Amino acid sequence: MGQHFAGIDIGSRTIELVIVDKAGTIIENFQRDTGYNPMSEVDSLLSQVSYDAIMATGYGRNLFELSIEARTVTEIKAHARGAMATFPGVRTVLDIGGQDSKVISLSETGRVSRFEMNDRCAAGTGKFLEIMAKSLGYRIEDFGNEALAAKKDITISSMCTVFAESEVTSLIGRGEDCREIALGLHDSVVRRVSGMIRRVSATDAGELVFTGGVARNPCIRMLLERTLDREIQVAEDPQLIGAYGAALLALESALQ
Amino acid sequence: MEEMIPLFEDEYAGQPAPKRVLAYMQKKQENDQPIVGTYCAYAPIEIMQAMGLTPAILCAFAKATIASAETVLPANLCPLIKSSYGFIQEGSCPFFSMAGAVVAETTCDGKKKMFELAAEVKPLHVMDLPQLPDEVEAKENWTRMIRKLQGFLEETFNRTATDLQIEESIKKSNKRNQLMRKIFDYAAIHPPVINWQEMFDISFMALPYDVDDAVPVLEGIIERLERRVAEGVHYGSQNSPRVLVTGSPVGGDALKIYKIIEQCGGVVVTPDCCTGLKLFAKDFEEDMADPAEALAKRYLQIPCSCMTPNEGRLEALSEMIEHFKPDAVIDFVLTACHSYNVESYKVGQYISEKHDMPFLKIETDYSDNDEGQIRTKVQALFEIID
Ligand code: SF4
Ligand code: SF4
Repeated sequence: MGQHFAGIDIGSRTIELVIVDKAGTIIENFQRDTGYNPMSEVDSLLSQVSYDAIMATGYGRNLFELSIEARTVTEIKAHARGAMATFPGVRTVLDIGGQDSKVISLSETGRVSRFEMNDRCAAGTGKFLEIMAKSLGYRIEDFGNEALAAKKDITISSMCTVFAESEVTSLIGRGEDCREIALGLHDSVVRRVSGMIRRVSATDAGELVFTGGVARNPCIRMLLERTLDREIQVAEDPQLIGAYGAALLALESALQ
Repeated sequence: MEEMIPLFEDEYAGQPAPKRVLAYMQKKQENDQPIVGTYCAYAPIEIMQAMGLTPAILCAFAKATIASAETVLPANLCPLIKSSYGFIQEGSCPFFSMAGAVVAETTCDGKKKMFELAAEVKPLHVMDLPQLPDEVEAKENWTRMIRKLQGFLEETFNRTATDLQIEESIKKSNKRNQLMRKIFDYAAIHPPVINWQEMFDISFMALPYDVDDAVPVLEGIIERLERRVAEGVHYGSQNSPRVLVTGSPVGGDALKIYKIIEQCGGVVVTPDCCTGLKLFAKDFEEDMADPAEALAKRYLQIPCSCMTPNEGRLEALSEMIEHFKPDAVIDFVLTACHSYNVESYKVGQYISEKHDMPFLKIETDYSDNDEGQIRTKVQALFEIID
């Protein structure tokens, strides 16, 4: 009795830790910035909790595996598992994180059947939004709401982060409305990821669940629903889904 | 793991494959067998070998020369072309320096235009490769191009080849191909008794070697593989995911794809590319009235994405899946290699629909800064399998 299972998602921007009990219910969760020394952040996080088994995911998982005895799983499987537990009807997961964006297609039983992940460039990721928010002088937390307040959008033609940034600079120079530029930038992310969604999950069957930090951005959510013409589901804390999935996988592999 | 019997019993065992081949080429050149550089699987090496010339596959797989190539070539070009040109420009490819002439083909646009620049450095002969290999004219035209190449080589090197010599060369290539297929068969075993590095090294050697020199080496390799079978040694385990890698040519810095697959616990059971099985997969028809036509017929069967339509690639994939029993297919696409990149969609659909097999496309170049991302993709693919 009283067993606890931990899932830790070591992302490029943030680290999330979720503890679940034997029934898979979340009992604790933590989040902090990855910073410059991810392992010391991980150590200090883990020193606050106790658990019987732990599973690591996220791009720092291999680093973690080296220093601490832990099993690892890819972000793809972790997000699929976490999304399944939150929305049992899920068949497609969209995860936009700091560095990566991915689309995962699930079978009826919740197994990953296909996935796609962006290549090394930042287009269509949280990083892209962050850089663009900064160049328009917005805080990333407000960026989505500011964009939503725009009356019309301005099309940003460059997908590449570097080119988009200079496009933004010249739009500002031309006296364009910052909110409209912001909407255009959001739209460029949505165009990119909706292409991925259409490629990976050809059907509209089941629910589309949006996970990862960018899922908190209301403008991205609105534009996605409009572009795909379908409803999307977002968990209360979408950025925790990967760690939650990892915790569930830790629990399941301990029970085996 | 138990001790693996090395497949090569020479002083180059364990060293990068080019060293062995370079030493061989030097010997050939000293014995009055001049070197001809080639860049592509379509180069009919039988014609060269029939007149006592030694084909050399030119360097195209190192990131080291890309920076200097980019002073002339656009940066958003396929790394293979940039790397090749960089070697030419820097004069740092020993194979290229040795070559008395270079044979090129009109395959993809980037390569074609790069050859125009390379022609300023070395005598270079371009063959007009038909792009619609299934058309009736294709074979006739390619036969003619092969004869024209013969004329170019005869003039450049002041040698001749009779049809009888070409026919002999064809028969030898068939012999080599059969041995190569026998060697690749050891990867069809479950778990495989040969790994990707060995298959790569052997292919790298077998193609440019004179078949008379290659046969005893290949037979020795088969004998040692048999010994591995008898001793029960193998790569990976019964559960290691078996991967068929198809797509753009793989070598040098692009070998990272094979390495990552192995690091993630998988085994490469079929390298389906021009530095793998592709060239040895089929034989030439023997004793045709015109041996050049036999060459044309076989070469046009290479399922390269520069061709349209390239249905042969799908058929070949099905055959390989039957034979090597992979668990997943990875399509390796070099950045800016448009023909393989566009074709990837078709290949992916085919693999999922026809074979219900996990499929992953990996688009990358020769740099190593995306290894973490590729590793995640490969690991996720393996998670799907188990
Ligand atoms: S992929 Fe096509 S163009 Fe490239 S080496 Fe092979 S046959 Fe030639
Ligand atoms: S890899 Fe593709 S783009 Fe590069 S040379 Fe070969 S066919 Fe051309």
